[in-house]
Amino acid sequence: MVPSFVLLAAVVFYPFAYNVVLAFANMNLNKIQDWQIIGLRQFVKIFAEPTQPDFYAVFGKTVVWTLANVFFHVVIGVFLALLLNQAIRGRSMYRALLILPWAIPQYIVALTWRGMFNYEYGSINLIITKYLGLPAVEWLRSPLEAFLACILTNVWLGFPFMMVVALGVLQSIPQELYEAADIDGASWWHKLRTITLPLIRPVMIPAVTLGTIWTFNNVNIVWLVSNGGEPSDNTHILVSFVYKAAFNFYSFSYAAALSLVIFFLLLVLSMVFVRQSRATEAAY
Amino acid sequence: MASSGCAGHRDNPNRVVIWHQMRPDERGVLQRQIARYEQRHPGITIEELFKETEVLRSGFVVAALAGQGPDFVYGPSDPVGVYEATKSIRPLEDLLAASYLSDFDTTSLLWYKGHLYQVADKIGNHLALVYNKKYVQIPPQTDFELIELSRRIQDMHGYTAGRPNVYGLTWNYIEPFFFIPFYTGFGGWVFAEDGVTPSLDNRAMIDALNFIRELRDKEKIIPFEADYEIADALFKDGKAAMLINGDWSWAGYRQRGIDLGIAPLPRITATGLWCAPMTSPKGYSVNVNVPEEKIALVLDVLKFLLSAESQMETVRALNTAPTRKALYRDPEILSNQIVQNSLLQISRGKPMPVVPEMRAVWDAMRPGYQAVMGGSKTPEAAAREMQALAVRKIKEMNE
Repeated sequence: MVPSFVLLAAVVFYPFAYNVVLAFANMNLNKIQDWQIIGLRQFVKIFAEPTQPDFYAVFGKTVVWTLANVFFHVVIGVFLALLLNQAIRGRSMYRALLILPWAIPQYIVALTWRGMFNYEYGSINLIITKYLGLPAVEWLRSPLEAFLACILTNVWLGFPFMMVVALGVLQSIPQELYEAADIDGASWWHKLRTITLPLIRPVMIPAVTLGTIWTFNNVNIVWLVSNGGEPSDNTHILVSFVYKAAFNFYSFSYAAALSLVIFFLLLVLSMVFVRQSRATEAAY
Repeated sequence: MASSGCAGHRDNPNRVVIWHQMRPDERGVLQRQIARYEQRHPGITIEELFKETEVLRSGFVVAALAGQGPDFVYGPSDPVGVYEATKSIRPLEDLLAASYLSDFDTTSLLWYKGHLYQVADKIGNHLALVYNKKYVQIPPQTDFELIELSRRIQDMHGYTAGRPNVYGLTWNYIEPFFFIPFYTGFGGWVFAEDGVTPSLDNRAMIDALNFIRELRDKEKIIPFEADYEIADALFKDGKAAMLINGDWSWAGYRQRGIDLGIAPLPRITATGLWCAPMTSPKGYSVNVNVPEEKIALVLDVLKFLLSAESQMETVRALNTAPTRKALYRDPEILSNQIVQNSLLQISRGKPMPVVPEMRAVWDAMRPGYQAVMGGSKTPEAAAREMQALAVRKIKEMNE
């Protein structure tokens, strides 16, 4: 008990408490050793002063980033799990191939996709122009397209997790339920709606909660695909903005305050999900 | 921790740790030098660990603040201001005798706020015009010649789907470091006379941004989009005749089999000024946490890495400019055309400021520069925003 508490204190409680203290201080490059507590100044700066980029714009992007990613992770993951749950030839091979994005280190995925998004030489534009006959897209130079490029990369990277989770729970659904539904003449859609989805829901909700937190805090993809928020710091999500504030500008207290804001946002989000999850469990 | 290179000075007094941002060719030379030192000094271990430039800087500061980190941090001089502000490195003037230091070119000794914080084994770390002799026989001397030559090369090798099979010129459009030669060519400089007030909203900035935009959109002699990797790959694959890149990259091109030429960047006709890249020494600083009992070993390793023997090995492998004065008279270096042209480019360059404010200037320039290249801002608006942003970031840094 004592060793685990010491370990927790060292790796969780102390850093968290230190972060809270820093958030109310003025630690930056010039006050790295003689910093002082100054109250709510950093929070005023976050919420009430114009910053480059603007906090509310970055927050909005973070919400879009998280919703879009988790939505597509779940939809694609469940769809592929449903396909792989059928008796199809080469199922193990497809399963291995579809898990592949998850097995490759994130930074390699990110840098590979960044190359693929190049305007002139990237494979995405080559496909768009050569095979679809559409004009090339300025993926990495325009804010919207660059942000979309980050989302596309992370969707590719993230769906296997949801697929594996969904496949696991699909395989545990008793076949008798489907057989009974078949006898009653239920359609594929009807079985999906009344048997499959309700039964995978208790497992998918915690997975979605985890996916949401991971996606909200995923600095790697945004940072590497957009090369640190490019163009013009327009592709930041909150966590990449914190990273930039702390390690590019050495505004440690500002970054600490911002990370505290992120912590509370995620805390509220997780509580809502947990409550929802318990309610779902109670129904069974 | 120990195996990752942290706290090397604490757990083993016979182990020296170096963190650096050397590219593979440069790193190979360092590894050979380390192997030689270890062979001559049984029982001593030297570990080198690569970190990407930004990670090296922030990682070293964080480690040093925690009383950890490597014994040496190696890189260009620009983070020295940050290291000094965070008290991460120790002054070297009391550790190295004046007679020893007098063997070095003065530009290789980085004095900042009255202290010697870095001793370099290379000077330059600068951009120059890199060209493939398969396409370019005589490098251009002026911007007009550059455009004319590029057009000629492109026309000679034809176009596919409207795109040249061989681009005249390319470079990394993402990083403002690569924009500096154009800015200086039009008469600009990043700071005002006082060395800390940003100077970005001026005629030179607007003209330089316009010039680059025209190279792409009007003259069409550079690719539509290029970051470091794309520019590097285009040149390596023979799809670009000329490239603006730094001395760290040249050895790789030669190894790739390119018949390589290095020339100073051209002169801007409108101003009569040479495009002047930023130059900086590249060398070793010592972690403030190195204990006194280990200093003798650390200095011995430092002197070995800075020796004429080690520097000559580096010049042979990388064609970089050495820092020991005696080597400038060495016949081998005098007959090395790449090194001589590199030295000429260095003489036309401008020292990179080491003040922490430079950090804010880079970060303020990047969005505006990229917005102009992306077509979302005019050069005039970008220059105004760069200045305002730099001023604000410096104010925030000092708040």
